Amino acid sequence: MGLRAWEYAIRESAVSIRRNGLMSLAAVSTIGLALLILATFLTLAANLQHMAGYLEAQVEIRAFLRADAAVKVRDETQQAISALPGVTKVTFVSREEALKRLRQQFGEQQGVLDAVEEMNPLPDGFEIKVDQPESVEKVAAAVEKLPGIEKVKYQQGLVQRLFRLTQAVRTLGIALAAALAAATLFIISNTIRLTVFARRREVAIMKLVGATDAFIRRPFFLEGLALGVVGAVVAALAIWLSYSWLVTGISLSLPFIPLVSRQPFLANLSLVLVVLGAIIGAGGTLFSLKRYLKV
Amino acid sequence: MVLMEHVSKVYSNKTVALLNVGLEIKKGEFVFVVGPSGAGKSTFIKLLIREDLPTQGRVVVNGQDLATLRPRQIPLLRRTIGVVFQDFRLLPNKTVYDNVAFAMEVVESPRRDIRKRVPAVLDLVGLRQKARAFPAELSGGEQQRVALARAIVNNPALVIADEPTGNLDHETSMGILNLLLEINRMGTTVIMATHARNLVNAAKKRVIALEKGRLVRDDEEASYEITRTAMTAGGRR
Ligand SMILES: Nc1ncnc2c1ncn2[C@@H]1O[C@H](COP(=O)(O)OP(=O)(O)OP(=O)(O)O)[C@@H](O)[C@H]1O
Ligand SMILES: [Mg+2]
Repeated sequence: MGLRAWEYAIRESAVSIRRNGLMSLAAVSTIGLALLILATFLTLAANLQHMAGYLEAQVEIRAFLRADAAVKVRDETQQAISALPGVTKVTFVSREEALKRLRQQFGEQQGVLDAVEEMNPLPDGFEIKVDQPESVEKVAAAVEKLPGIEKVKYQQGLVQRLFRLTQAVRTLGIALAAALAAATLFIISNTIRLTVFARRREVAIMKLVGATDAFIRRPFFLEGLALGVVGAVVAALAIWLSYSWLVTGISLSLPFIPLVSRQPFLANLSLVLVVLGAIIGAGGTLFSLKRYLKV
Repeated sequence: MVLMEHVSKVYSNKTVALLNVGLEIKKGEFVFVVGPSGAGKSTFIKLLIREDLPTQGRVVVNGQDLATLRPRQIPLLRRTIGVVFQDFRLLPNKTVYDNVAFAMEVVESPRRDIRKRVPAVLDLVGLRQKARAFPAELSGGEQQRVALARAIVNNPALVIADEPTGNLDHETSMGILNLLLEINRMGTTVIMATHARNLVNAAKKRVIALEKGRLVRDDEEASYEITRTAMTAGGRR
């Protein structure tokens, strides 16, 4: 199987793609469309995932210092919290800061707080952010044991619900992606089977003239590869353009919606599509060809 | 070169195409296979190129028992045989030139040899000027001659032709026969299935006759019909 054989195969597949123009076009569009649907879904799933992660990061624990804690204790406590696994950020909130926030929450009804103003019953404390909802309970328990800490608070119900939601989004996303990938594979392999089926007589003749399986496979392999890759590139181009457009539009009008940033997401997605197209195109063709080689 | 022992072929629909056929064809022989339509001539040929296996008996070609041939070895067997199929079996998407060249591409001949050899063979069958045409643009006889050109282009040791003159006028038929006789003179074994009595009678070669799948006659330097002398000769044997 030298260079000579591949040279012939390249010429053959090029001629065949041109001669079966309409069939080739149909195959490319089917592959492109199927992969585009898959890519659209993957983009959607990636963004839901991203948003879930974003929401998770919003979960926070509040820890209050003992009233008698010295500055030294305060700093030590902050360091101890930062060192805990799962903790991403620890912010000190002074009692004055805490009162200011409370005022903001009350909005119009500031009068209630005026009475409290002079004595300010609020303690100094920390805002602790964790990487995922699962970490909340463990981190809270550990923080509570620290000597400088008086009390720990977090929204347990919200954490549980959020945890369940993001988990569901993940599982559903993976299941749907798998189902869609299978459907894509089915549609594409069907298209390829048709193009191979149309040439089964040709394959039989080649074999009767003494062609080896490898010799017959080579041009089919290249043709499938080319059609698969071209289809994938079309899909990648479409998703690239439309997602860029979407991100630009949303960041202008709805800036608070967290979207997956374009790069490296689009580059990775395109790579996945092209690899998928190549494997399905070449692999599908060889697979469909197999039965017609038994002459 | 070819050996058949007690060969029978029963198709899946229970048609008995060959029944207990035994024969030997030596290297360098020229053999006609005759018999009425449906006698089993094409089936006989199918078994020789391992397009099909016999339901019973042994087929040996080039010293190899075809039943024991592994799938990878089948193409190698077929490369030693040039076949003109009764239904031509040309590649519809290739030109006359490329159809003939294909047989050489399969054995990975150098490009240079292909460019020299293909036009020469097309000349032999009188189709040089049709080189660029596609099979669908040719008459039946022309397609048949392309099939013949493809069969002989690699100088195979054995040429098998299934009715290679079925669509040709007498003169062109004689041309094809002479071409096959010439190839045979240069050492190639030729097996030719035919209904063309005048060709058989003109050539005076070995004739194998099949009838309803049975081998009913195998005579040297014979003619198409069982002549009185041949019959009595056969009777005496
Ligand atoms: N693939 C097949 N399946 C079933 N029966 C078949 C098949 N091929 C041939 N036959 C039958 O086997 C018998 C022999 O056929 P074959 O083609 O060998 O005849 P033939 O001598 O070549 O005839 P012709 O001169 O018309 O070409 C016929 O009865 C035919 O109908
Ligand atoms: Mg026949």
